[in-house]
Amino acid sequence: MKRFALLLVACFGLAFAQSGTLELAVDSSPAGLDPHKVTAFSSFAVIGQVYDGLLEINADLQLEPALAESFTISDDGLVYTFTLREGVVFHNGRPFVADDVVYSLERILDPETGSPQASRFNQVANAEAIDERTVVFTLSEPFAPFLSNMPNLFVVPREVVEEHGDLQQVAVGTGPFALAEIVPDTFLRLEANADYYRPDQPGVATLRYNVVPEASTRAAGLRTGTYHLIPDVDPTTALTLRAAPNVTVLEVPGLAYTLLGMNVTREPFDDPRVRHAINLALDREELVDAVFLGNAVPAGPLSGALADWVVPNATFPCYAHDPAAARALLADAGYPDGFAFTILTFGTRRDVADTAQVVQAQLERAGLQVEVNVAEFGTFVQDWSNSNFDAFVSLNGGNIDPDGYMHRTFITGGSTNVFQFSDAEVDDLLTRGRTTADVAERQAIYADLQAALACEGPIAHLNYGTLFSAHRAEVQGFQQIATGNLRYLRTVTLR
Amino acid sequence: MTTYVVRRLLDLGFVLFGVSVLVFMMLRLIPGDAVAIMLGANIDITPERVEALRRQLGLHLPLHQQYAQWLGGVLQGDFGRSVWTGRPVADEIVGRLPVTLQLSFMALAFAIVVSFPLGILAARARGSGADTVVRVASIVGLTLPSFWVGVLMLYATSMYLPAWPTIGYVPFAEDPLGNLARMALPTVAVALPMVAALTRILRSSLLDVLSLDYIRTGKAKGLAPRSLFYKHALRNAMIPVITVIGVQVGYLLSGVVVIEQVFAIPGLGRLVIGAINERNYPLAQGVILVATVVFVFVNLLVDLAYAWIDPRVEYA
Repeated sequence: MKRFALLLVACFGLAFAQSGTLELAVDSSPAGLDPHKVTAFSSFAVIGQVYDGLLEINADLQLEPALAESFTISDDGLVYTFTLREGVVFHNGRPFVADDVVYSLERILDPETGSPQASRFNQVANAEAIDERTVVFTLSEPFAPFLSNMPNLFVVPREVVEEHGDLQQVAVGTGPFALAEIVPDTFLRLEANADYYRPDQPGVATLRYNVVPEASTRAAGLRTGTYHLIPDVDPTTALTLRAAPNVTVLEVPGLAYTLLGMNVTREPFDDPRVRHAINLALDREELVDAVFLGNAVPAGPLSGALADWVVPNATFPCYAHDPAAARALLADAGYPDGFAFTILTFGTRRDVADTAQVVQAQLERAGLQVEVNVAEFGTFVQDWSNSNFDAFVSLNGGNIDPDGYMHRTFITGGSTNVFQFSDAEVDDLLTRGRTTADVAERQAIYADLQAALACEGPIAHLNYGTLFSAHRAEVQGFQQIATGNLRYLRTVTLR
Repeated sequence: MTTYVVRRLLDLGFVLFGVSVLVFMMLRLIPGDAVAIMLGANIDITPERVEALRRQLGLHLPLHQQYAQWLGGVLQGDFGRSVWTGRPVADEIVGRLPVTLQLSFMALAFAIVVSFPLGILAARARGSGADTVVRVASIVGLTLPSFWVGVLMLYATSMYLPAWPTIGYVPFAEDPLGNLARMALPTVAVALPMVAALTRILRSSLLDVLSLDYIRTGKAKGLAPRSLFYKHALRNAMIPVITVIGVQVGYLLSGVVVIEQVFAIPGLGRLVIGAINERNYPLAQGVILVATVVFVFVNLLVDLAYAWIDPRVEYA
């Protein structure tokens, strides 16, 4: 295949802007492709090539224009006016207009759709297409993270939804690639969109997502050149691939964090002193080495990748490993001999299961009696969402806005606040954090929040892991993004 | 004979009914359903939306009604639709079955072709160096997990024979050579435990038969050693071998499930693993029913083979 591609280039020179097939190896078939319905990473890896949002996130985690060319925000922070790009067409040939944006938003908000994205857009009171190229969103209250949600407003064509009922098996967007073929559990093929609105992109004619469930098989395929790119590589495999000839391993600090979550409605985790003591008993550096082979950093409430927002861990003394202080604090709280509890976790992610074991050992050193219950993933989700646990070890996703990290996790009754944490001061800060427009003021609010949550919140933040990807030497122009988004596939060319 | 086959096929009906009830109930005993998995751990969603999704999938009905509904469909040839892709379950299975069957038959054929000469060699040269090597190798073959062997072979070929296409799958009709090249390693990996088991049983069964009186009689009346061995001894030694083949085919099916995962082969095994993980009830039920049918048929063939090998066997 490679030879064939080279032959093509040799025969036709640079006459073709796009040539070659980029072979990717991914771990699972996308479970549906409807951008408003799916949650799986495997789905978004494809959706990001087919659909566009109004804005998108670049490698520096900054927002950039996509379908919107520019936008203005009213002084009261309530009215967002987007000017849309001209000359964009859907893969079915129909021109993209402002009505499509309004329709897509309405579809996300429609309870019938059951969209997991809906809560991102709850503040929109009214969406209106003023003309073909202008769309105006009016919010019911100021909502500072609003722009950071624009990459999730994937624009879909109404006629395709109406014809097929939903978009799980069909995909018609405005993106650089169009869906050509799905062979379940084998591969998924995208072809370059000749009418794509960015000139000279995409750089390859075909994207093939090969479904290869075994990590070692993906690695072997990259070594032999069967595959060009593995978007997601685990740390152990990354280590072995570093030594392979003609293979480049990329890394970027991740936004997702491993955590020990505590159920604050159960004794003794209802006592802030106990939660503080747990933080002291944990050794985050040891976790970095033992679980991530050094490819991670100790975690606080926000990722270091959010440089404008994060308060350094060193500010919080409870992040210094100190088992003696932990024991003293436990004694103070009425547990001089420690206590027994169970950590719920799941086995499908090695980093999570390993973290649970090391955490168990660390807490036992501080005098606690810890059992680890490695549940099957479906069981874990069920117990997790019903708050049926003493404590759990898991992985939480991140966001480019601190509100995305904190609001639904810590606000009273929040959708992922399974700890049942409720604190009036935290609630007030979280609300002000999302309704305040001024950046400096927001930074102060989130600094206060980090201080309030770091030591005595319901979560002991453990590590931010490093994300790895690997590609062959012939792949040019790929960049990895901390969100895991594959935006830069469209700039890839094959040498 | 015909009555026997008919009766066995009727039995199949009962087996399938039992399996369908078991599978149906067991899948639902695993906590979490498709809706919970679909929405995942990190999702904003109201209880009303969850309820609406459950309703769409028919998961709100009592279990016996769900079962009756499903069984009614199956009896009319409708296995339902895959929860995640919305494609008919029958289509999903028909796409995968040939892949798994090809791999299974190739492994079975490989196992027989390799184990017979080895077993015969070991039995004829009992106690020799060759016998010892075969016996030790067969113990090793039985012990090594096939997925581990698969991964090792994959690594070895990627290091030393990088040009050999080992990963993935192309249909035989599309590219026969490419198909066989890719199927070779998984075939060997799956077949290895079976080679070991068949070699051992063939050797010991041959040794048993060779010590029987009629062999000595045959020798005494001057039968040629070759014909004595192949016509008289081997044939009689086959009964336990056939039994073991039947049992091993069951293991083979489960080995194939794992190997498909390692070599990225889109067969039934991967389909069913995915279906169970995603609580894709109709799909998992469909695949397991089909696998049951295959297994029962293989056992029927094995039972019929006894009569072919040994005319004294009668089916009443």
